[in-house]
Amino acid sequence: MSETILQINHLSKSFGSNLVLRDIDFTVDKGDVISVIGASGSGKSTLLRCINLLETPTSGEILYHGKNILAHGSNPAQYRAHVGMVFQSFNLFNNMTVLENCITGQVHVLKRSRNDAEKHAMEFLEKVGMAPYINARPRQISGGQKQRVAIARALAMDPEVLLFDEPTSALDPEMVGEVLQVMRRLAETGITMLVVTHEMAFARDVSRRVVYMNQGVICEEGSPDEIFGSPKKPETAEFLTRFRG
Amino acid sequence: MNKFSQLGLDIVKLWGKYGNSYLLGVKNTLILALVGTVLGCVIGFLCGVLNTIPYTRNDPPLKRFFLRLIRILIRIYVEVFRGTPMVLQAVFFYYGLPYFSNNSLRFSSVWAAAIVVVSINTGAYMAESVRGGIISVDPGQTEGAKAIGMTHVQTMSYVILPQALRNIMPQIGNNFIINVKDTSVMFIIGFPDFFSAHRAAVGASYLYFPSATVEMAGYLTMTLVASFLLRWMEKKMDGSSSYELVQVDPLTMTAGTYSFPDHATPFDERNPEAVKSMQREALRRQVEREEAERLGKRAETRRDSETMAGRKEADR
Repeated sequence: MSETILQINHLSKSFGSNLVLRDIDFTVDKGDVISVIGASGSGKSTLLRCINLLETPTSGEILYHGKNILAHGSNPAQYRAHVGMVFQSFNLFNNMTVLENCITGQVHVLKRSRNDAEKHAMEFLEKVGMAPYINARPRQISGGQKQRVAIARALAMDPEVLLFDEPTSALDPEMVGEVLQVMRRLAETGITMLVVTHEMAFARDVSRRVVYMNQGVICEEGSPDEIFGSPKKPETAEFLTRFRG
Repeated sequence: MNKFSQLGLDIVKLWGKYGNSYLLGVKNTLILALVGTVLGCVIGFLCGVLNTIPYTRNDPPLKRFFLRLIRILIRIYVEVFRGTPMVLQAVFFYYGLPYFSNNSLRFSSVWAAAIVVVSINTGAYMAESVRGGIISVDPGQTEGAKAIGMTHVQTMSYVILPQALRNIMPQIGNNFIINVKDTSVMFIIGFPDFFSAHRAAVGASYLYFPSATVEMAGYLTMTLVASFLLRWMEKKMDGSSSYELVQVDPLTMTAGTYSFPDHATPFDERNPEAVKSMQREALRRQVEREEAERLGKRAETRRDSETMAGRKEADR
């Protein structure tokens, strides 16, 4: 039994009268590589954004190592430093170079020295193959390269969990491969990952657990073989046949 | 023509007598405009940051109350100082303070009064510009900063404000140029600026129009130099349009991003091993092509004879 990092209990989120997440229960254990799949609008991204407190859940609790981070007096900034996030639209800081993007959080949030931060950042930039571009600015590199830098930026913070919010959806088809390759390598290194994705091949081959979401609830959860091989719910099966086309 | 030469002579006469006071006026005007704009920007940025501190329903009521109060106060400040003429604000500050405090409170110099008035006035405009600059930065930037654990202040100072500052540089330039011209109203409290030099010169010489010409040329020169410098600063802020690659990216093969893309590949003309293999490859291809041609010809002739035979058959 591995250590539980995140435990989500009865999480709900509504935008106005629109209930987007209903009573979600969900755990993330250390070393998990979880793919969250489902149709657009099923609440996948909102779930991820709630976990990172970019959206404030309407009700429920999120336990991080047993402590509820939604309680009054908890420090969201401190919590977020332990939970990395990679966005669909990269969100690299436009006023900084590639290297500065990967350093700023370490220096200002983790209070590392500039030297250490630089060394640490270079380690991850090399891993994602972006070391040659450290002097470039985000507007000067391609989408796939931006996403790889974003991954390096998140990794440089040494997060306990890395959240991916449709990391390849905003990319041109020929750039999807390079980002997925980086993510595959990451999964092999044992880092805990929670990936919202439309890349079914990635969900099937790389993740250890697949969560299928439908209309704001977790419809089915299991190993990739279970979900892709013999889905129990008719909704899951229907969703997957649509993908096989 | 006569008029112009007369004007020229008058200007020369004026400059001979009052040149120093004009130049002193230019100096004072520029200092006041610059200090006022810089302090105004500081006020504007403070207001902009305070105005955009987010609060949610989860925050304690006291925090929410204070944040709302701050927003209301800033709103009042902006509306009052944006909505009244600077010349009256100067009068209110300079003469109002001693009036209400029975002379116990007053500005020690016109400089202090002028700088306070210009800064506060500029601040009111800048507060709105900064708010606009902050809004114009993609919300994703804020999310990216929050996702790595930055607090609101850190997000603002390292990510949002540098970008907002770049976005509102044209506005700051605008305000500086407006301040260069509008500080002329400070003559009302006796501030020795460029325009008050005109008033002094005219009072003594009665050369109204020639002095006004000097003023016009002087103000235009100041603003033109200012706008040139601001353009240059904006360019500086944008940074270099190119960047140096440190080594080769192993994952992408994007055209045009390498200084030497063929390095150590079979297409590398500087690699003797590769050149040899390329020559071998070319030779092999040529042999193949010749072979194919020969076979093709044979096939063609066969096909030709077949069709001929077919036709003959059809003819029969």
